[in-house]
Amino acid sequence: MAPRSLTPVRSLLLLVHMVALSVTRSGSMPTLPVPGGVADRTLYDRGLSEERPLQEQIAQADSVSQADPADSERLSNPKASQMDPDNDDFSLLKSLAERSRDPDNETPDAEDPEDRYFTDDSDSTKNRRLAEDYDSTKNSMDYKDQDDTESFHTVDGTPLTAEDIVRKIATKIYEEDDRGVFDRIVSKLLKLGLISESQAETLEYEVAEVLQELIAKNAKDNEVEARNSDYPASRVDEDEDVGEDPELDSDVLEIPDRKYDDEVETEDSEDGEDVVDDNWNPANEVDHREDGGSEDGLQDLQYFPNFYNLLKSLDSEEDAEERETLITIMKTLIDFVKMMVKYGTITPEEGVSYLENLDTMIAVQTKNKLGKSLMTPDVQPPTEKPSDESDNTKAEAAKMQKEYESLKDSTKDNQAVAETDNAGKSETYLEAIRRNIAWLKKHNKDANKGDYDLSKLRDFMDQQVDSYINKGILQKDEGEVIKRIYSSL
Amino acid sequence: RASSAGCCCSRAHAGSAREPLGAAVTRADAAADTEERSEGGISFEYHRYDELRKSLVSVWLQCPSISRIYTIGESFEGRELLVLEMSDSPGVHEPGEPEFKYIGNMHGNEAVGRELLIYLAQHLCNEYQRGNDTIIDLIHSTRIHIMPSMNPDGFEKAASQPGDLKDWFVGRSNAQGIDLNRNFPDLDRIVYINEKEGGANNHLLMDKKAVDENPKLAPETKAVIHWIMDIPFVLSANLHGGDVVANYPYDETRSGSTHEYSASPDDAIFKSLARAYSSFNPIMSDSSRPPCRKNDDDSSFKEGITNGGAWYSVPGGMQDFNYLSSNCFEITVELSCDKFPPEDTLKMYWDQNKNSLINYIAQIHRGVKGFVRDLQGNPISNASISVEGIDHDITSAKDGDYWRLLAPGNYKVSASAPGYLTVMKKVAVPYSPVVRVDFELESLVERQEEEKEELLDWWKMMSETLNF
Repeated sequence: MAPRSLTPVRSLLLLVHMVALSVTRSGSMPTLPVPGGVADRTLYDRGLSEERPLQEQIAQADSVSQADPADSERLSNPKASQMDPDNDDFSLLKSLAERSRDPDNETPDAEDPEDRYFTDDSDSTKNRRLAEDYDSTKNSMDYKDQDDTESFHTVDGTPLTAEDIVRKIATKIYEEDDRGVFDRIVSKLLKLGLISESQAETLEYEVAEVLQELIAKNAKDNEVEARNSDYPASRVDEDEDVGEDPELDSDVLEIPDRKYDDEVETEDSEDGEDVVDDNWNPANEVDHREDGGSEDGLQDLQYFPNFYNLLKSLDSEEDAEERETLITIMKTLIDFVKMMVKYGTITPEEGVSYLENLDTMIAVQTKNKLGKSLMTPDVQPPTEKPSDESDNTKAEAAKMQKEYESLKDSTKDNQAVAETDNAGKSETYLEAIRRNIAWLKKHNKDANKGDYDLSKLRDFMDQQVDSYINKGILQKDEGEVIKRIYSSL
Repeated sequence: RASSAGCCCSRAHAGSAREPLGAAVTRADAAADTEERSEGGISFEYHRYDELRKSLVSVWLQCPSISRIYTIGESFEGRELLVLEMSDSPGVHEPGEPEFKYIGNMHGNEAVGRELLIYLAQHLCNEYQRGNDTIIDLIHSTRIHIMPSMNPDGFEKAASQPGDLKDWFVGRSNAQGIDLNRNFPDLDRIVYINEKEGGANNHLLMDKKAVDENPKLAPETKAVIHWIMDIPFVLSANLHGGDVVANYPYDETRSGSTHEYSASPDDAIFKSLARAYSSFNPIMSDSSRPPCRKNDDDSSFKEGITNGGAWYSVPGGMQDFNYLSSNCFEITVELSCDKFPPEDTLKMYWDQNKNSLINYIAQIHRGVKGFVRDLQGNPISNASISVEGIDHDITSAKDGDYWRLLAPGNYKVSASAPGYLTVMKKVAVPYSPVVRVDFELESLVERQEEEKEELLDWWKMMSETLNF
């Protein structure tokens, strides 16, 4: 039987798969990237066109509840955070997902460079809010002085294509003179299970090609010659030799970003790393984050009570890395939502309801996979972590980590499949419900019947769901998910 | 396809080099691109029990106003025998609306039918929402019941085999080792006797209560028998694999020999119904198609159809049980030479059968149909509808509604009920659409009263005239 506690790795997998699959599969919004598509451009772009109609479906889906004005404000005013160091690679990841955006893609938040959450780099992690303000592109923009190569939107705001993104990766690698950039990004993606080895390879080739072009083009300036056709073997020997510590590759995700940030700020990279390490001390972090989280993040966390609980249970040292990853993922997601709201792709209410759905699924999947219930979604965010669980978590975490490690390679596919299926199941249901709503709207519009009665539909569905659970047609948790989805419409 | 992990439906085991990504995330993209693996939410892969259930739930969630899931009971190992019903008022029999059913996978290792029915359910929902008039009309005028698997236990066994090559027998029978298509009460024997010695020609199941107490009947069989008794099905098909043909009654030979054409009284309409399926399946209707296996005897196959007995005798089958215990006309459709073909052929089978499956449902709207009522307009249920020249009667349902499938021709159709005077009407029946013929029956008592009235009137008149 699965361990009772939330183990870091499992929760990571859980969240990642849920996120990656739920969100992308339903096409509800672009999420963490699928760079496999980079290899096949048409595939890549078609994915977009598939997602888009569903985004429109979200836009069409009724949301009965009014968004809290503060929330919508929060959503529509992404604040600039000093997350650059953390964001850099993630901005890349994010952009890979935000393949084609609204044309109205001006630099986000160029006009709203609030900095109130981050006084300086060294403290940023301590103050960092969980679900708040992870707008990497915006940060990049601010920080990099609107440098085109650093942002992931073109200057005039037109959407990036796959080629652009490959080019940008290549450019960054070239400028940083560090193949590690690529490795870091890819290793994260692989670790998160979002791409396969072969896709990583393909991406590598693509980037290599562009990089070679760059090098060739700038050969005269940089006096570099005779590039190896084999990208991995070719290291650009630049004046600025970054000399990045390879250890960082496997560490907390934000470290390379921070490192990059430090470099640009002309800080000593080693110092930057130290600072980072200190800042990433899990214990400190947990305390500070909680403080910051519960105070500043309450607004956000009310949309993620389950996620918050999930994080809270990851309070051991071994969990730190996973926790960070989870946080980053969530922040990215929230950022996407905010961006979409900002650009009018979805209404704030829809964004909110999406996030609530996400949180619901976190609860469901957590329960499914880890046998542990998070708090019910209706409850206020907790103000203290459950102390009895923390001991379990630590003991279990170590065990699970070991188990996971041993299982990882051999059963990765199966695990992915099982979780895929579970996450996919909820996603399939969400998708099916969306189709129904979309059809109802269209149907009623065509027939000039006015808006369909959502509350009646919801009551009917609730009734049916209960009846199906009784008859063994639906499992209880599936029923809950369905009811929840309907109640969030 | 099954991997050694035993999960033939694993998305990670896409089984196709074309899909490098293990996660299902890009599957939709890949599919849209290649149109191989999915189409409008239909993923052409094998569904294990939970995935089957999930698929049906998804269809219901997408089309809740025209669909409903129910279960007719449990398999031996406790899996639900799930049915997805599609109609404009799911859960309700609308008077006059004919009921249709598809049953797949009664042999657990004959897997194509199971999958096609899952795809069909999704397809009907999609098309309905897309505004496809044919589908909309069909769903509004028919109550369609789809049971993808009558033998989910057998399927699990068959699907758990590693590799693509599945044994001809593993998973065929239910979990008790019972071949469900030999497990139904043998009513053919009874009707053959009645043909010779006189007796009823319809509704031959003697003791319905005894069904539950019969230890020889598998739970799946019992569940289906109750289902047939509860719902006034008109037309049905039962999907199999191992060959490619549409098979019609009778399955059991009259003489008991292994091969003998054994026509039912409704041979004409059955041939027409079977052809209606096969003609839309390019493989099935190809008369120059070589047999599935070199030494197969397919001499009885004509235009993709065959009489059951002519092919080989099957006693205790579900097809004949339908015809002889109820009003339902059922044929058996064999969909694939391979009982459990590789997963990547499923899309092909869907393409081959999609039109057949839909066209066959539409056959339900043929012949004559209507209501049997008394003179006050009250429905008469269980009235007999007989057709001169066809030794098989059907009965009216609870609302007095009946549906009599007939091949084109001129017929004399009679409605009768105990205590009522029989009424006969002449009807010219085209290929389609169905002809509406209602009956108003006068009860005997009413007639007697009438006659008495007449008599009194006459006596009164006589009296007055003759000055009594």
